[in-house]
Amino acid sequence: MLKIENLHAEVDGKAILKGLSLTINPGEIHAIMGPNGAGKSTLSYTLAGRPGYDVTEGKVTFDGQDLLDLEPHERAAAGLFLGFQYPVEIPGVSNVQFLREALNAQRKKRGEDALSGGDFLKRAKVQADALGFSMDMLKRPVNVGFSGGEKKRNEMVQMGIIDPKLAILDETDSGLDIDALRVVSDGINRIMRTPDKAVLLITHYQRLLDYVKPDFVHVLAGGRIVRTGGAELAHELEREGYGTIAA
Amino acid sequence: MTLALPTTRDEDWRWSDLSALPALADAAANGGAVVPRWIGEGPRLLFVDGRYDEAASDPGPVTIGAIDAATDHPLGRLATGAGWTLSLDKDGFGGTIEIVHIAIGGANHVPARIMLAEDATASIVESYIGDGWANRLTRIDLARSARLMRAIRIDQASGFTSLRDEATLAGGASLVTTILGAGEGGTRIDAHIALDGSGAFAEHGGALLARDAQRHDAAIVVRHAAAEGTSRQLWRAVADDKATTSMAARVEVARDAQKTEGEQSLRGLMLKRTATVNLKPELEIFADDVKCAHGATVGELDKRALFYMESRGVTPDRAKALLTHAFIADALDRIGDAPAREAFLADADRWLEARA
Repeated sequence: MLKIENLHAEVDGKAILKGLSLTINPGEIHAIMGPNGAGKSTLSYTLAGRPGYDVTEGKVTFDGQDLLDLEPHERAAAGLFLGFQYPVEIPGVSNVQFLREALNAQRKKRGEDALSGGDFLKRAKVQADALGFSMDMLKRPVNVGFSGGEKKRNEMVQMGIIDPKLAILDETDSGLDIDALRVVSDGINRIMRTPDKAVLLITHYQRLLDYVKPDFVHVLAGGRIVRTGGAELAHELEREGYGTIAA
Repeated sequence: MTLALPTTRDEDWRWSDLSALPALADAAANGGAVVPRWIGEGPRLLFVDGRYDEAASDPGPVTIGAIDAATDHPLGRLATGAGWTLSLDKDGFGGTIEIVHIAIGGANHVPARIMLAEDATASIVESYIGDGWANRLTRIDLARSARLMRAIRIDQASGFTSLRDEATLAGGASLVTTILGAGEGGTRIDAHIALDGSGAFAEHGGALLARDAQRHDAAIVVRHAAAEGTSRQLWRAVADDKATTSMAARVEVARDAQKTEGEQSLRGLMLKRTATVNLKPELEIFADDVKCAHGATVGELDKRALFYMESRGVTPDRAKALLTHAFIADALDRIGDAPAREAFLADADRWLEARA
């Protein structure tokens, strides 16, 4: 589904990713772990196409398409979803309006009919209910006045409504207490754990991986993947720290 | 006709571009056909090239005739002769009156007078469309506890629209004026609002949207002459391309105007770095027990918000339109007449969509 080959990327002229390669197949959940500054967030932003994250070398294909050739909104329409580490507040634009615009723009791009207001609200309610998110909050401006945990839950509600093929979740677990972590993890499993979808979890801690079991764990250090293993690698990292493994 | 126009050397006109006016003043009306856009079903007046179109109007309580509204304002004083008058007492018509002004090339000048007696209320929605120079002087007198709501949309396809308001508010009177500039012509908005009675309330604001080489320019003075008055100026200025939107808003608080509450919120948004937004908030306070807050900020659209929206599939143009709409919406939310508010917001959205 996603094939990253020898990816080099820089931010403000500073090389961050230095030859990263990774293949994700449908049905797989991959976790990328690594110390601060390893390039985890740069990887997620580069894949989503954030301006200022410049690819200097390498290739990324998504479902056979050249991902790097697409604009951010085209990547979304192709089925890529980025769960933000710091979801953005947008005063004056309601969640409902924003998500309906987003979903219908994606559908239009894919040649599908727009969802009516009623059908959209039904779909939104199902996802909001599943994540303990009230419709009242969905009607409020995007993330404005939401707590850190509410923002992360909102990311999952959005993911459920948009129903992507590949979700890149950037530290979705940060700032969550144990109950919220469980709710968010259940959301990831429910929405994304199907044979035709895949997830790239970017995380600092092993905690999330107790709830969302990865098929592969990768260690990112110095802008490249230095080690790959199964779920047990996360425990080893938790025990021993990044120092010895990433070295 | 010889026009004596202010120049940019005059502080009150430093951001104005009146260069198109002499040619428009000399040009003849070209008779272009523009269809009026009505919002409601109530009383309505149509002015074409400054002339009252009786057949297309249903004036309700409004009368047509000579107006006595002398001013020394350089543009306002050009509006002499026949105009419209609304004079209401408290049992008078309480609904919304709509006025559409169609310019058809050349210049047209219309004076108006609004007089509300004690406890009278009125709501007026005006639209400026067509091509040419529409120049207006509106003299407003609100007696004790009278309430006037005005919503004005400037939507000419070309030319220039200049509006001069001179208002006097007695004790407890309320004047709320909301203006949308979403046309393709130049604009000059002038207002002098005097809160002469205690406890009067004045709100004056709106959204001015400019693109290409367009220039919008507003100069508003609110004068608190009596105690316990409240005033708000809430303006949103948007400039795209090489356009310029300028706003000078002044609050004057006289020595006797204790317990005045004044608020100015002037915010500018540049959609391109080649655009210009000028904001000039001014406070002149002679009383010692007043609360006056003023804020003036100019910025660009939040790049993080744009990327966030695009990462969810919203196209870049649509994301910009949504964020710009959010930027101006609070200024237009002040329009009391719901159908007018919807129509104005739809006009603003049309402007935003046309960027794409």
